[in-house]
Amino acid sequence: MIWSLLLLHLVIVLTIPVVAARLGRNVLWLAAVPMAVTAVWSATRLGAADAVTWGFDWVPGLDVGIEFRVDAMGALLSVLVSGIGALVCVYAVGYFSPTASGLGRFASTLLAFSTAMVGIVWADSVWTLFVFWELTSVTSFLLVGFKHVDAGARVAARRALVITAAGGLALLGGFVLLVDAAGTARISDLPPVSGGTATAAAVLILVAAATKSAQVPFHVWLPGAMAAPTPVSAYLHSATMVKAGVILVAVLAPAFQDTSVWKPLGLAFGLATMIWGAVGALRHVDAKLILAWGTVSQLGLLVSLLALGTAKATFAAVSILVAHAVFKAALFMVVGEVDVRTGTRNINELHGLRRSMPLTFAVAVAAGASMAGVPPLLGFPAKEAAIEAMIQLSGGERLLVGGLVIGGSVLTVAYTTRFLVGMFGDRTGPVGAAASGELVVTPPRPAMAAPEAILGAASLLGFAALGWVTGVVRDAAVTLDPSAEVYSLYRWPGITSAFVTSVLVVTGGLILGALIVRRPVTAGPVARGAAAVDALVDGVARASRLVAARVQHGSLPLYLATTVVALALAASPFVLAIDTDALYWYDNRAQGVLVLMVVAVAVAAARVSSRLGAALVLGGVGFSVAGLFVAQGAPDLVLTQLLVETVIVVGFVVGLGRLSIWFPRAGRLWTGGRLMVSLLMGVTVAVALAAGASNPVGEPPVRELAESAVSEGGGNNVVNVILTDTRALDTLGEVIVLLAVAVGILTLTAKGSRFVLGPRKVPSDELDDGSGADGAATSPVPTDEAVRP
Amino acid sequence: MIARTSPIVQLAIRAATPIALLIAAYALFAGHNQPGGGFAAGLLLGAVIVLRTVAGLQRPAYASTLLAVGGAIVGAVAIGPLLWGEALLDQVVVTWDAPVLGTVKSGSALLFDLGVMAIVVGLVIAVLDGLGATSLVDRGLRADEDDVRPRRSEPRP
Repeated sequence: MIWSLLLLHLVIVLTIPVVAARLGRNVLWLAAVPMAVTAVWSATRLGAADAVTWGFDWVPGLDVGIEFRVDAMGALLSVLVSGIGALVCVYAVGYFSPTASGLGRFASTLLAFSTAMVGIVWADSVWTLFVFWELTSVTSFLLVGFKHVDAGARVAARRALVITAAGGLALLGGFVLLVDAAGTARISDLPPVSGGTATAAAVLILVAAATKSAQVPFHVWLPGAMAAPTPVSAYLHSATMVKAGVILVAVLAPAFQDTSVWKPLGLAFGLATMIWGAVGALRHVDAKLILAWGTVSQLGLLVSLLALGTAKATFAAVSILVAHAVFKAALFMVVGEVDVRTGTRNINELHGLRRSMPLTFAVAVAAGASMAGVPPLLGFPAKEAAIEAMIQLSGGERLLVGGLVIGGSVLTVAYTTRFLVGMFGDRTGPVGAAASGELVVTPPRPAMAAPEAILGAASLLGFAALGWVTGVVRDAAVTLDPSAEVYSLYRWPGITSAFVTSVLVVTGGLILGALIVRRPVTAGPVARGAAAVDALVDGVARASRLVAARVQHGSLPLYLATTVVALALAASPFVLAIDTDALYWYDNRAQGVLVLMVVAVAVAAARVSSRLGAALVLGGVGFSVAGLFVAQGAPDLVLTQLLVETVIVVGFVVGLGRLSIWFPRAGRLWTGGRLMVSLLMGVTVAVALAAGASNPVGEPPVRELAESAVSEGGGNNVVNVILTDTRALDTLGEVIVLLAVAVGILTLTAKGSRFVLGPRKVPSDELDDGSGADGAATSPVPTDEAVRP
Repeated sequence: MIARTSPIVQLAIRAATPIALLIAAYALFAGHNQPGGGFAAGLLLGAVIVLRTVAGLQRPAYASTLLAVGGAIVGAVAIGPLLWGEALLDQVVVTWDAPVLGTVKSGSALLFDLGVMAIVVGLVIAVLDGLGATSLVDRGLRADEDDVRPRRSEPRP
């Protein structure tokens, strides 16, 4: 079943671009199909006691496999991922205008992203998880940068990619160390690990999770990712992308519990993020950014709870994960609808929407109350469980972690209040330019309202059917920590200390929120962190452009000289390896004559003053060398050498067709320099050959090769059997090099190519292009102008 | 083009073309037992194309097609055996009795050579194209100020 679902995803991902033009906006319904099917199937697995597995060996030699395992946790997460994904697709039908372009790309990428997320939550091998993890980075980059004509979206997408891809590298390193320490790559079999390797792995994996789940200080990509269309934000920042890091921490927490860094580092990430995110949510005026920062804060809470590692905290984390996915998706959808129907998301400009958009308001209140942890909504029992987990702690941990979590919860209630009042309440913003225009509200769009209403109702229904939710969450939490099975979510906990704390938290938050709403901010804070990341990326790009301009100067003689000098330096130590006793002058006398001929023709080639003449004489050198091969008894080499020389000589005729017939007059320095480089090259090759001949490594395996050529390769020409059979892999590599060279030539010289050859800084007399301006390909255009976007 | 003014060269190249093609085919098939092979056959064909281009008999074309086909063949021969659980690039040797040729023995190495040949020819054409041979063929060589050769190359229609 697992493979058929993934295959269905893949097939639809590939189908969408083909049918997009015909279906228009409705292509999003097609994207919703695999998600809905997956969600339904996962829902049937929720109560199942056994796990469904599927997998195959990918690289048996390295023990790398593709392994999936859908247990209670995996099923719960894929219900969220695919279910919310399907709703987001429906929502996007309403969000985009019927004439919007690129919807095929959008739907295809969204589904591809969803596939990658399903792969993450079902993965049972760290390698599988890694592959899908990277896939989410790439697809989310495409989704965030969906409006690619907008420079801001491009920069935001790049920032998200740079940070999450860096995290991906850390993850790869962490997994390598983890597999080394644990002895298995199967996640469900991971034993608790400890020691130096495991500690390093724990740090790397936590950093990876922090980049993906937007933990301070890696959170800077998330607010920028709001440049994406709102359906993307609703999907990426509720149930999926940002949860990937949380899921990673969750599934690996049992294995890393014994390492000394896991808990403190995880708590540091989580607690700092929780507080800083909530503060950020209080400072912004863009409703979508308020939610984005709120997401950062909630992710911090989740990571803190999972890092704590107590069964109760893990149970609370799973509950909040579910509640958050539901209410945050609904809230993003609300913001998107407000944005589409009023044209703004600025809470200073929005006012009175509770009257003009009643349904949206109801959804926002339900989801917001769930976020604040108010009954009768799913967020309440979940938050309650978290506070209980805090109370169960002891000593300084209880004071610090508990205090911060409760403080974070107060801030959460405060920003929720600010969000709801700012958007739906009466005018609060400064009376001025921003608030002057009357708010025009366009008619409702059913495709947007329906998924919103479903998610808003889900928060309520989750509370109503809390018994069922508890069962599902407990099953999932038990896969992480077996001792979580004793815990439950309570609709009415009674007057416990947790409940009293909850009441205090909500009251405090409401007061704080009301105070902040009354003191409105005009503009959000400057994103310094994001600016720093952008400056870093731009700096690297600038530096590389500088280096490239220096190294890739475009002068062929200098390239050649550099290569030769580098080769000579590399070969110089081997002068000591030459054993003069092992060297002899010749095999037979004919070689002497041929060598003299080679030398004579080579000298002539350097003296000829006509270009074509030089090319022909150079061919003479090649043919003389072919003669040497004849004397050596190597017919294959002779054949190849003759053919290569022929093609090159005639090719020269074509190449020289553009240049004047005569070489330009050269100065002494130029001639001397060329002479030096040539001599250096000759000496280098001679040294390398002599050193090689002085140090034979055993007898050449001529007999074995000859025998295997006939018996295994089925041919009598040993040379060619080596090329096509015995060492065919080498040939394959060489063929790929040839292909790359040819493709390079074709792209570089294609007419109208965007890649323009750099400025030629050859001595000006080299530029005697007799044929005049001939096609843009070879005309010197300043590289800077051509490369700059 | 340089040789366009010389009917002797043109005629000679025309006459040599079929012979060269025959030798290229021979080199391709004989490669397994005699000197030759895909690389040599590709170079032979390449030489034919270069010469014909120089003589203005044809334009260098289809480089990308040849490269793509060659790459596909080589890739298929390389990866194909994996589908049957064999090693990468594992060779299959086929022997059959053909009516005229007698017992013919061949194998996937021949296909591999064919791919190599296509890539080599494609590379030669790409280089020619890169050197701007097409425009030279179209326009003919123009003499420069310091070119002592007499100018008499009016492109023929």
